[in-house]
Amino acid sequence: MTAASLLLIFLARVCASAGQIFFKKAMCVRDGEARSKGAASFCCGIVVMAVGFFLWLGLLNKFPLSYLYPFEGIDHILLVVGASIFLKERATPGIWLGVLLISAGVVFVSAN
Amino acid sequence: MSFPDQNKAAVAMPHLAEETPVRHWFYRPYFQVSVSILLSAAAQIFLKIGADESAGTAALGFSGLHSAWVWLGIVAVVASLLSWLYSLRFIPLNIAANLAGAIHVLVPLASWIFLGEKISASRWFGIFLVVAGVVIIARPLLKMEERL
Repeated sequence: MTAASLLLIFLARVCASAGQIFFKKAMCVRDGEARSKGAASFCCGIVVMAVGFFLWLGLLNKFPLSYLYPFEGIDHILLVVGASIFLKERATPGIWLGVLLISAGVVFVSAN
Repeated sequence: MSFPDQNKAAVAMPHLAEETPVRHWFYRPYFQVSVSILLSAAAQIFLKIGADESAGTAALGFSGLHSAWVWLGIVAVVASLLSWLYSLRFIPLNIAANLAGAIHVLVPLASWIFLGEKISASRWFGIFLVVAGVVIIARPLLKMEERL
């Protein structure tokens, strides 16, 4: 496990979370705004998710699934951080508590 | 015009503050997000059954396309995505994505029940943590479900 692989793992998870943020933006275009704005966000989401998917596939080729899967737990943390920065969603203490439990749970569910 | 308790709810969850018409139960966002999560978990089980049934020798899983289970899985994945995108219109991402954490519980449980796979003690502990996290996030929403 090198620093480069860890960076790639992190990047793949960032892509998966960023894709969701683009999807959310695409689905929440307001009435006044141009529809093309939503379509652009949707396309960005697809591209970012595809990049993340193939990064992940390449990593699965190098490492066992039981090693990689626990890293999916950080998706939930990245999403809450990303949603508060890019979507201005407020993360309540309850949400943070829930996210930390879910992320820890994912690690235990998937670690072998 | 709003009642005091509605105001409190609106402060806690700004996305609920907008005027929302009463929807048929099928179009309620929290119904659709649940459908999306269940379909996504079911798809994993369908695909696993299909992949076992049609185990090919090729590196890529194209031989699975002969299996009806694999096609059922593909339909479930697509339907799940559509429900997901619909519910994202109404539900904040940080809530929807964490409700989807339930998938990490549903898949091991379904593998245990339907596929006869074993669940280790540490996995049961993880399932417990995820359920606790999802319940903490979902609980305040259950009270306001009617308003969506």
